[in-house]
Amino acid sequence: MNPFLFFGILLIPFIAGFIGPLLNPKRATVLSFISFIIPFVTIVYALIGQSFFGLRFARLPEPLGDFYIFSDSISSAFGMVVALISAMVALYSYPYMKHRFEEMNLNVKKEFRKYVFLYQFYAASMLWLVYSGNLILLFIFLEISLVSSFLLIFMYGYGNRRWVAMLYFIWTHVAGALTFVGFLVIGFENSTLAIKDIASVGYIAWLLIFIGMIVKLPGLGPHIWLPWAHAEAPTPVSALLSPLTVGLAGYVLLRIYLIDSWFIEAYRIPIFAYAILTSVYAGFSVFRQTDYKRLLAYSTVSQMGYMLIGLTVGTFGLMGLVIQYISHAFGKSILFMTAGGIIASYHGLRDLQKMGGLHEYIPTISNAALVGFMNLGGILTVGMFGEFFILKGIVDVFGFNLWMIFAVVFVFILSGWYSFYTLKNIFYGTPKGMERPKINRLLDTPLYAIGIISIAFIFPPLATILLQGIKIVLGGVVP
Amino acid sequence: MTFPAYIPVLFLAPIFLSLPIALAWVYRPGAAWARKLPILSVLGLFISLIISLYILFRVPSESVTIQWLPGFDINFVFTFDYLSKYMGALTAFIAFLIGVYGLEYMKDDYRLGWYWFFFNTFTASMLLVVYSDNLLMLLIGWEGLGLASWGLIGHWFRDDDDLSYVGDSKRRIGPLRLFWSPTTGGWRAISTIRFGDMPMFFAIAAIYALTGTLDISQIPWGDMFQKIGIAGTVILLFAFLLGPFTKSAQLPFSEWLMTAMTGPTTVSALLHSATMVAAGTYLFMKITWYIKPWELEGVPGLEIIYLLVLFLGLISALYGALVATGLLERKVLLAASTMSSLGLMFAAASTSFWLGKIGLLVAFWYLMVHAFAKATLFLVAGHLIHVTHSRFCEGDLELGKKMKIGFGATIIATTFLAGIPPLTAYWVKSGMDELMVELIHDVGALPLILLIAVSVVYAAFLAKFLSLNFIKGTRPHHIDLHGGQLMSSAYAIMVSLMFVLLYVIIREIDPSTSTFFEAGLEKTSFLVGIAVLITYSGGLIMPRIRALANVGFVLSDRLYLPFLNDYIIPGIGWVIASIVDHANRGIDSLFHRWVPEFFERISRDIRKLQTGSLPIYIQIVSGIIIAILIIGALMGWR
Repeated sequence: MNPFLFFGILLIPFIAGFIGPLLNPKRATVLSFISFIIPFVTIVYALIGQSFFGLRFARLPEPLGDFYIFSDSISSAFGMVVALISAMVALYSYPYMKHRFEEMNLNVKKEFRKYVFLYQFYAASMLWLVYSGNLILLFIFLEISLVSSFLLIFMYGYGNRRWVAMLYFIWTHVAGALTFVGFLVIGFENSTLAIKDIASVGYIAWLLIFIGMIVKLPGLGPHIWLPWAHAEAPTPVSALLSPLTVGLAGYVLLRIYLIDSWFIEAYRIPIFAYAILTSVYAGFSVFRQTDYKRLLAYSTVSQMGYMLIGLTVGTFGLMGLVIQYISHAFGKSILFMTAGGIIASYHGLRDLQKMGGLHEYIPTISNAALVGFMNLGGILTVGMFGEFFILKGIVDVFGFNLWMIFAVVFVFILSGWYSFYTLKNIFYGTPKGMERPKINRLLDTPLYAIGIISIAFIFPPLATILLQGIKIVLGGVVP
Repeated sequence: MTFPAYIPVLFLAPIFLSLPIALAWVYRPGAAWARKLPILSVLGLFISLIISLYILFRVPSESVTIQWLPGFDINFVFTFDYLSKYMGALTAFIAFLIGVYGLEYMKDDYRLGWYWFFFNTFTASMLLVVYSDNLLMLLIGWEGLGLASWGLIGHWFRDDDDLSYVGDSKRRIGPLRLFWSPTTGGWRAISTIRFGDMPMFFAIAAIYALTGTLDISQIPWGDMFQKIGIAGTVILLFAFLLGPFTKSAQLPFSEWLMTAMTGPTTVSALLHSATMVAAGTYLFMKITWYIKPWELEGVPGLEIIYLLVLFLGLISALYGALVATGLLERKVLLAASTMSSLGLMFAAASTSFWLGKIGLLVAFWYLMVHAFAKATLFLVAGHLIHVTHSRFCEGDLELGKKMKIGFGATIIATTFLAGIPPLTAYWVKSGMDELMVELIHDVGALPLILLIAVSVVYAAFLAKFLSLNFIKGTRPHHIDLHGGQLMSSAYAIMVSLMFVLLYVIIREIDPSTSTFFEAGLEKTSFLVGIAVLITYSGGLIMPRIRALANVGFVLSDRLYLPFLNDYIIPGIGWVIASIVDHANRGIDSLFHRWVPEFFERISRDIRKLQTGSLPIYIQIVSGIIIAILIIGALMGWR
């Protein structure tokens, strides 16, 4: 594929970010959708062709090195998900944000302009992040995504939104600053920050990046920012924040691992134990949540533990990491959108204790939630491969270590348990005499689109293409 | 890449033809035209049936490969061997017949789209499990089974109809209320199955990591076991078998099958007796078929696992049979008996370690006989529930006369299943007796004793079921007989298959039945048969013994096993969840209250000093100078 054409297509979302505000909300939504679905199709095409290419646009002095963007199967796997989810959430945004603006007594037309601009920058910066060939470039896109999502929470969030937005800003910038210093150390040690030219990553740099990304991922301890931010953000932002943004920390760690993996290998056991602890801890936290969006946020923490586990168990673990990102993104975006659907239908209903039997009134949203939770549990969806490769990685790396096997298996069991427990509490049981709302089709159709794709990914030809591509890229890392 | 077109159609036809009703129900629930669409779903089941019969009679034993993940050497491999050909045809046949029955049984239901979609998805998943040679592909079907089972058990999600509950609303033991709703049943099924599936998933990944292949028929089982040694073999096989154990509701995972009876009766008949729960035993038979443990005498660890399966199976069988004698709920009684039968299948199949393939053949033929008989009994039970509007056994000869077909079908199914000579199950059970007799040399007499105990108890509660529903039960308060033709013809056809199987066994049409047919002519088998006949008659004459009512309560409380699922495990989980919740609050307070407050206080104190009045600044500066001087003096600065 022609690299110029490819990156021209990747520019579309940014351009749409400037054009969108000029249009009325409906047209802006369509434009926003198209601006992400074109990259999605292109990326899938690139994935089919297994094409690898880069495009340099600046050669900067030391220690910055080449500024370039490049595509391989891993970038494409992440990029495909980012583009797809962004496109679907863009459609969903229209009815939801209209509802939100009306609820806040704002002028819909005027606010939607700001919203579209920020949304486009937020989502497009994540798309570019995975194609960045230079760590500084990567950091710039990371910052754009953080600032734009901060503004979205600050302006349109729920509850004590200004406080939550500040909290989000500070936590993510602690993560960002640590990572940035880590990048700079790499730059001074290697006299370049271009991913292809970096020879090694020293102890200090690895440590800073690792801790920074653990705050962002998040691991146990720093995880506490996530329930606040995810619960109080406007739902379309939650539906990008949780599936896409936090998981990109896993992407950064993966890229650094592919450059120089010694740190993870040296501290394999403690990191693995920490990952398990994070997953189990967050998994148990889910059971006690009474707010649907907070519940989903804790489940995100648990799922991010999977990615960290994947990072520690060799080549197949890395495959597990990539697939886990995809699977979690599909599942969690669907689930946050179901939460939003309930909020929009029942005037901000988020309290689990007031739910129960909702399937009676909103069957389409309930069924979508089932597909979402199937993704989290890896049941009949692409997540199945993620679990499979992580388990295989464990046998490869640790052999038949009974405790480790037990721990990982328990993590998987737990996520299945809380999934179906939550489903039961929210959607099934005796209906509570609510009204049957009229649901805008854009509030449920995008969910099914993602759901169908997540199921299609376990069958040929999509599964064949995706896994083959990832294998080729990772194949050379660890023999 | 060529493969016969009928293979995808076999799986896709039922799923795609159930989509019209599923979609119709989403957008126009309850519309009159939508209520006609289930015919399409049944058509899908019919297409699967035709294809599976074609495979049974016309396709040679071979395997067909469809590319899936060629880079990993993992592909869709369909195998048509002895087990899968029969099992596939059986699954499709029973699914189709129950589908027809369901057209009438579920006619007025409020959730037809959901029902048919999951019913047909279940059938496709089951066929995938049956025909697959590749373990990862099998897992797709396996997960599909679990999901469909969850969906169908919790079908009546409103929890508003006492007829869909399990247990007695008044019965309490300590903190426990022995009364379960459909949503609880669904949640319990999926959580129990998840507990077994994930270890099994691990075992599959481990097999792949060790051998690089996942095709059951290609895995070098013997070499693999040698490589990982005794501990590795035990861990691997035990983890693998947790999947079948939970799916087939062996001890201590049996509770979910009892509460699964909250689903519609069609579901109980198809999933929770004939096919899905048997998938666990089927998978065990299938891997044993290719492991060929009888050729691996020297491999350490294997014997431990087969002994475990043997005794777990027999003990579960005895537990299930005893519980069934105490139960009075129609469907739950049959569920307990299903668990008992599954235990017998495991036990018989595990004898192959010592005795060779014959063990598998006996177990597999018992599976088939059991499937048709038990499906018939469930379908009759469903019809009875429709007629009498009661979950509990009731009905006298009057009812028997009014429901002649149901009465007749129950008589045939119970007598043929109990093992009364010379009816169908007798020959298979004789095979089992023979296996256990031969096992005395290797294992001891205990398995034989357990088997005989199970057989006699089993016959007793079958007779009790017949007697309490049609002969000696209380007179129903309510009899509603209209309709029912489709239902009764479905179970009439189902029960007639018992005669077909009898014919196949006696005429030795399938050469592999001859081995256990001959066992039926032995004296010991005949004696066991007579004992079975005696207890059967006893159960028929005295279905309830008042003097033993207290024993009955203990048995119908399932020997207090519900405490495990309802009290102990949730209790542990809840304690951990509370600890975690408190920890979360602590971390939250630390980062979002105490740390900010600490900085706020410092900043406030510093600002407090900045009042703009000169004397204070002079005081501060002189204070600092004095402090520096003092510290300097103390440190010996000259």
